Amino acid sequence: MNEEALLARASEERERIFQRYERGRENLAGQIDPWEDPEFEEYHKTDRYGFIHDERLPQKTAPQKINIEVEREKKWVKMLATWDSPTTKEKLHRRIYKGIPNSLRIKIWCKLLDVNRIKSDNPGKYHEMLRLAKQWSTDVRQIDSDVNRQFREHQFYRERYSEKQCSLFNVLCAYSMYNSEVGYCQGMSGLAGVLLMYMDEEDAFWALAVLLSDRKYLMHGLYIEGFPKLTRFLEHHDRILTKFMPKLKVHFDKFGLDAILYSLKWFFVVFVERVPFSLCLRVWDIYLLDGERVVTAMAYTILKLHKKAIMKLNDMDLIVNYIQVKLHKDFGFEDDIVIYHLERSMDELRRAKLDYPGPPPPNELPKRQLGMFVEPDKKSKIGQRAENFSETEKQTRATVILRREKAAMELQELRVSQSDTVSDHSGVAANVRCDDSVSALGSRRSLADTSVTSTADLSVFSSGRSHAPENSLDTHSNVSDDGTGSGIGGLSIQRAPSTAHSTPRATPHPPSVSPLSDDIVRIHVTYNPLAASPSHLHPSPAKYKSYSDEHHKPISLGFYTSNGASNLSSDNRIRIQVPSEELLTPVVDSGRIITQRYIESQDMYDLK
Amino acid sequence: MATNRTGGAQRPNGAPQTKVCQFKLVLLGESAVGKSSLVLRFVKGQFHEYQESTIGAAFLTQTVCLDDTTVKFEIWDTAGQERYHSLAPMYYRGAQAAIVVYDITNQDTFGRAKNWVKELQRQASPSIVIALAGNKSDLAAKRMVEFEEAQAYADENGLLFMETSAKTAMNVNDIFLAIANKLPKSESGGGAGGAGGARRLADGDTPRASSCCK
Ligand SMILES: Nc1nc2c(ncn2[C@@H]2O[C@H](COP(=O)(O)OP(=O)(O)OP(=O)(O)O)[C@@H](O)[C@H]2O)c(=O)[nH]1
Ligand SMILES: [Mg+2]
Repeated sequence: MNEEALLARASEERERIFQRYERGRENLAGQIDPWEDPEFEEYHKTDRYGFIHDERLPQKTAPQKINIEVEREKKWVKMLATWDSPTTKEKLHRRIYKGIPNSLRIKIWCKLLDVNRIKSDNPGKYHEMLRLAKQWSTDVRQIDSDVNRQFREHQFYRERYSEKQCSLFNVLCAYSMYNSEVGYCQGMSGLAGVLLMYMDEEDAFWALAVLLSDRKYLMHGLYIEGFPKLTRFLEHHDRILTKFMPKLKVHFDKFGLDAILYSLKWFFVVFVERVPFSLCLRVWDIYLLDGERVVTAMAYTILKLHKKAIMKLNDMDLIVNYIQVKLHKDFGFEDDIVIYHLERSMDELRRAKLDYPGPPPPNELPKRQLGMFVEPDKKSKIGQRAENFSETEKQTRATVILRREKAAMELQELRVSQSDTVSDHSGVAANVRCDDSVSALGSRRSLADTSVTSTADLSVFSSGRSHAPENSLDTHSNVSDDGTGSGIGGLSIQRAPSTAHSTPRATPHPPSVSPLSDDIVRIHVTYNPLAASPSHLHPSPAKYKSYSDEHHKPISLGFYTSNGASNLSSDNRIRIQVPSEELLTPVVDSGRIITQRYIESQDMYDLK
Repeated sequence: MATNRTGGAQRPNGAPQTKVCQFKLVLLGESAVGKSSLVLRFVKGQFHEYQESTIGAAFLTQTVCLDDTTVKFEIWDTAGQERYHSLAPMYYRGAQAAIVVYDITNQDTFGRAKNWVKELQRQASPSIVIALAGNKSDLAAKRMVEFEEAQAYADENGLLFMETSAKTAMNVNDIFLAIANKLPKSESGGGAGGAGGARRLADGDTPRASSCCK
């Protein structure tokens, strides 16, 4: 076919698809394939959010819960009437974390997203975009095929060309014109689909627009080509894992499970179809209030709450299935409990300065003015794919490949060191219990759980006005931190309980990452790249809870490999700094910050 | 609605001790050609007309028994939209097998499949086993890609080829079985980067089949 014919075919297809949605279900009688309409026995099976289930629902919402919700509704109605008042602003946080009553969700979501303002600032825009889409949008085929597959088990979307299906189609087509850099990306139908469960068509369009381009959410960077925001947030997610749940991270690494493989939908559609819908709505409530930090914190919370269970799963398919399927069907914790932990996670991450990976770089921001018509080029009109990757895409590809290769390497190292550990210290490693369980679930690592072998040659000295006995580290040890196989430690630290650090969070200090500050201890470690490479000295996670033994309160140690300035050449030496506050400390290699992490004192061992 | 599986791939129910090999398989192809549907048919024996569209990728496993070997497939079902193309290496790197899917009622998707084959030949493990699946064969009335054309292309490129239907289950198990048969069942049979041969089933605590893949 020549170009003209291809163009004609594409525009004919677009018009045909559009027409069907314009006519809608009533006017398409006899023209909808019977299999396009799933038959559901609706009675008893539609839940309060409108989802239809294959089986009868186990139970109705408990009556006392309904009562609570009725009480809440009254308060919310009052708040809505005085939305802009300072008292409302003050109460909003607490009320929203308690959950927005389902009947008022539509109003409150619109308020939180300030839908009315953006709508009245842009009169007629939505319909203009929809008109343009009908004539120009190059995403119509993809949108059509996704509308056909989105939330079909929900009563609104169950019937082909139902009113809401048509709205969904329209919102996505109009948006593809409004934001021509994003156009349409798979995943957006999930977002718009949820919004349309609560809003009418035009409000949903503006709500979607706010989610993509407002600074608080900025999903634009998630959906544009190359997904730059996804890679950035995943790296941050990895950082959080490394710091707070290193064992879990090692466990994932062991099965080659990159975060992208299990968490993509968390970021793209804010947990839709990854957690039960009732919980998902609660997370959305909070997301709309507090923005992108919530996604990061919820990702952390999910893993935190399920860490124990996941650690028991010894194959990738079991882990992925657990995280993606099982947790969607049954999260295992009541929504209120999860939200309680979510709020705590947010505090915890904020304290560790890990709540936010930083402001968006320019490539995550819209470059073209939104709502400006840009005629698509011929290739995209025909639906032809670009022959080459764009620069951003190349970058993403490179990142993805790098992540993959790094994971493969780490995996190999792990396997090698694992077999080392087993053969070298089998007698010792066996009784080391792995327990870096989360603060939320409560755990401690007692001294008795730790065994120490002396394989590394470590010498210790402190510098500055050192407080010798308290801060000295005695470290001729090789602790395998985990009998189950992640025992890759070539080094561990022994440290006497220190009164100076017994209340680490009581007296905040500015972050001290200078290697020249007080309390510096240098440890010389026999370097074995496989068994003791710094990246594998996984610290245990931070603990924010009380310990039974006052003496074993956590402190943290900054961890450095020595850099050029420290007069240790191509060496096997590692410098450990003991800051006086539990603060993030970068691991520095040859003057370059590699990663930021803690060494925590649960890995602190008694001086005998 | 879901229809039940019509048989084919055997599950290793109470099978006597056999070799157990694990392979990573990836599905690639244009959006809406039926990748997820093929996987769902193979893994669960079901078909959903309103199968969710895939965001990023989905992961499933299925085990099949050959004569003396149990083959466990780790299946990565990827998203077909062009935008997701840049993530694809995450899924096909290290894969021992790939099914490239097109829709027989849509010529464009066949062109797209060819590009995927090219990319795999260049970028994936050199020993990767590639199968081409012309899906939706139940819609033969709307056929736009001739069987012979696809067969000739597959022969030229050394691909396994079948026309399949996730809807009727035609050739679905068969194509996976054909791949299983073609995969090298020895650890040394692999290609570069350790990506070629079978991986022994689950390291660590999962019980190992003692005579696996030797
Ligand atoms: N008639 C027929 N329809 C099919 C067949 N396989 C899939 N479909 C339908 O084609 C549509 C797309 O199928 P999916 O399996 O979701 O396609 P996909 O390739 O996974 O698409 P993406 O996830 O977007 O990449 C669905 O509506 C399916 O019901 C088939 O063999 N015959
Ligand atoms: Mg799919």
